[in-house]
Amino acid sequence: MVVETPIVPFLTWLPWGILYWLFVVVCLSVAAMFIGLLVAAMEHGPVIAVKRTRRAIAAGVVDLIRLSPRRVWALTWLAVKESIRRRVVVVFAVFIVVLAFAGLFLDPGSPNPARLYLSFVLTATSYLILLLALFLSAFSLPLDIRSKTLHTVVTKPVRPSEIVLGRMLGFTIIGTGLLAVMALVSYAFVRQGLTHSHTLSAEDVRPIGLVEGDQPRFWEGRTSNERGHRHGMLADSAGNAITDVARGHWHEVTVNGSGPSARYEVGRPKGMLLARVPVYGKVRFRDPDGMDTKEGINVGDEWTYRGYVQGASPAALVWTFDDVNEKDFPDGIPMEMTIGVFRTHKGKIERGVYGSVGIRNPVSGLMVEVEVFESKEFTTNKLMIPRKITRFASAQVVPQKIETGEGVKQTPEKPDAGLAQKREFDVYEDLVADGKVEIWVRCIEPGQYFGAAQADLYLRAADAPFWLNFIKGYFGIWLQMVLVVGFGVMFSTFLSGAVAMIATLGALVGGFFSEFMSQLARGQLQGGGPLEAFYRLVTQNNLMSDLEGGVWVNVIQMADSVMQSGLWVISSVLPAFGRFSYAEYVAYGFDVSLELVLMRFVNALAFLLPVFVAAHFFLKTREVAR
Amino acid sequence: MSEETVVKAENLTKVYRDFWGRQKVRALKALNLEIRRNEVFGLLGPNGSGKTTTMKLLLGLLHPTSGRALVFGREAADVTKNERIGYLPEESYLYRFLNAEETLDFYGRLFNMSGSERRRRTAELIELMGLGSAKRRQLREYSKGMTRRIGLAQALINDPELILLDEPTTGLDPIGTRRMKDLILKLKHEHEEDPKKRPKTIVMCSHLLADVQDVCDRIGILHQGELKELGAVDSLLKVRDVTEFRVSGLSEAGREQVEDAIRAQNGELLSSGNPTTTLEELFLRVIEESEAHPGRRVHGGGSDNAKGGSGDGS
Repeated sequence: MVVETPIVPFLTWLPWGILYWLFVVVCLSVAAMFIGLLVAAMEHGPVIAVKRTRRAIAAGVVDLIRLSPRRVWALTWLAVKESIRRRVVVVFAVFIVVLAFAGLFLDPGSPNPARLYLSFVLTATSYLILLLALFLSAFSLPLDIRSKTLHTVVTKPVRPSEIVLGRMLGFTIIGTGLLAVMALVSYAFVRQGLTHSHTLSAEDVRPIGLVEGDQPRFWEGRTSNERGHRHGMLADSAGNAITDVARGHWHEVTVNGSGPSARYEVGRPKGMLLARVPVYGKVRFRDPDGMDTKEGINVGDEWTYRGYVQGASPAALVWTFDDVNEKDFPDGIPMEMTIGVFRTHKGKIERGVYGSVGIRNPVSGLMVEVEVFESKEFTTNKLMIPRKITRFASAQVVPQKIETGEGVKQTPEKPDAGLAQKREFDVYEDLVADGKVEIWVRCIEPGQYFGAAQADLYLRAADAPFWLNFIKGYFGIWLQMVLVVGFGVMFSTFLSGAVAMIATLGALVGGFFSEFMSQLARGQLQGGGPLEAFYRLVTQNNLMSDLEGGVWVNVIQMADSVMQSGLWVISSVLPAFGRFSYAEYVAYGFDVSLELVLMRFVNALAFLLPVFVAAHFFLKTREVAR
Repeated sequence: MSEETVVKAENLTKVYRDFWGRQKVRALKALNLEIRRNEVFGLLGPNGSGKTTTMKLLLGLLHPTSGRALVFGREAADVTKNERIGYLPEESYLYRFLNAEETLDFYGRLFNMSGSERRRRTAELIELMGLGSAKRRQLREYSKGMTRRIGLAQALINDPELILLDEPTTGLDPIGTRRMKDLILKLKHEHEEDPKKRPKTIVMCSHLLADVQDVCDRIGILHQGELKELGAVDSLLKVRDVTEFRVSGLSEAGREQVEDAIRAQNGELLSSGNPTTTLEELFLRVIEESEAHPGRRVHGGGSDNAKGGSGDGS
């Protein structure tokens, strides 16, 4: 599954994101100022401490504002030159060696070779680039300080902010160059690794269909087995031939000649490298009484991301989509869904659980049940609701019912049952109202449950170009690299090389767990904080049971709340590195939306800006010659 | 701070502390010092006396524990003062993967110099330092003398008004040393020869006392972080209880009378007047006295006899 967190539109996210960012930045700035004041007061007394702090802040602000592009560029150029001198191209050589070995071990006959190849190249690239960024950024300044080459630089009119920015830009440029070359090589490697062909001879083909004159209308056949699969082939009498879809791809077939002497040439695989563009809607749930609810039933999962609805009842999973129009979906509404299943009895375990899919007009309430499908856990079902619906299981007018303080509100208030009397429905005339349409999914087996979240059902618009999605995948790695460079340079302004590297690595690893830490800090996880968890472990209390009150329990919980505040700070200052990776989107064939790209870009900037300011102050306040 | 004062230290003190804030060493104790425009000032002292610490404090590489260091009237921590400063560190701490042209171009950029200005200054300095044949070679391939020369070139890239030289002649052969000293004197007198050029102030610290004596107008001697002696080189080296006459325009009769008087004593008169001791002798005497009486300043630069004396001490 690619998306397993709620999707918030960029413009909805941005204002709250900025407010939260400002809050954290202000808190950290005040804390840093207070610590600085305290240290200065201990050394020089309170009066001088206040003067010095004020002077340091004023000078720091001036340094940050009055950056000289020429000096920054000179220092950037130096960082690039230094990186090249430190043989960063070795990383590229290692990458080539890794690919060469991968070519031997990656199995192109696997059920989803594109996912395998893409996951591999993206993961290998990101590990290598992040390691490179880590080493370059953490060791550069400490080496300069140790070899005293920095003395010659800081005795020129160079501001600490320019040194920090020059380093960050330099390493970013070198990493970007290397990443671009790696992306090109990876693209060629994936294309080359996935390409294959099949053979098909006239003996493998037989005529089918009605004969026109002495010529049959169609020919069908089976290709040779390559990489663990075959394709069926269908050709018409005009020589147009294609294969069916196997392992997520198909081939074009060129037919030369006709009849038993015909020669068939199977082309390159098509449809292997996709960038599906999902159009997400908003999900709500309908309970067995037909009332709308925001949440589904909790079937006992600790993870409450998915809500469930009961089978063989009016309960349903309902998605509402906006802006559904003929231009984007001219032939009907294509959709893909991955519906979770919860069984209260085994049933027929060898098959999935049956459900139905309906399309509903949110204004008139007309609902047409179009398809029955079999849902298997974590299997994606593809479905196309045609523009003209002539075959359907049922059609009825189903009002939406919402419990309000004044009773049950029904939409539409006066349902027109006559709308359901037609034998043919047009999606845009009957079921889409002002671009809005609802998709209903129901479980039709008693005792079984269907579960889903917002991203589990989406409409599939025209695919985006794969190469663009591939670039977006690498853009995610690039963002991670820039963040590592930022943190590495910041730590290296006040720590030695090895310690700065460990600190950056710690930030990287911590960043991958920052979401967990954030949940722990907010008390969203069962079992309390670290001390309470330890207490439960020792006293053999499970996570769900209430602890008996007592002095010790109170002390433990108070200590935990202090620790949780610390955890909140740590989780707020560490970027969730995992979120910057688009590898799964690319590997699973989903387009990385522009909104997501923008969101992560702004996210990265929000971290880099304070990191840059902090690095500047660390370098400014340290004694370079010590 | 007057226009004439380029460097001023007011009770400048530096205490090195360990990680826990405990005092490790008091490297500089309440230094008061003024260096004036267009003079060559030498800072002398044995190892660990505080002269490099002083220089680092003036450059803002270290922060004073107390007191102030002002350069051109600005706090040493203010980076804008560096626009008028050139600094040659003890070892030429340069990026050894760059060649001479790249090095000078890089440091020129740090002074925000335009491309054409950088090219002009680079060519001029490479010519001046005699590095024309090696300008495209990486600095890692340079000899010690060449490295010092390119180090000095980078210190001069911005045509500075204040030049700080840390052990400028260390490691140089006699010819290199001579060239360095000539260059220092040339920089000092540049303004006199061409009034359009800005007068230069040079501060150098060195162990090579003869070099300091050759080029410095004034010197300060540091020992155990304290300034023990300060004054003009000539004045400090003067032996005051011995009188030397160098007479011109003396009448023949008068000269004969003096010569007769000397001959009457069976002597041969070559010259008369105050002989000078060497800087080395003065330096060693100051250090010896400082060790005998710690915490007490050695007064007077001139000596009463050839073995000792007092300077003007100002």
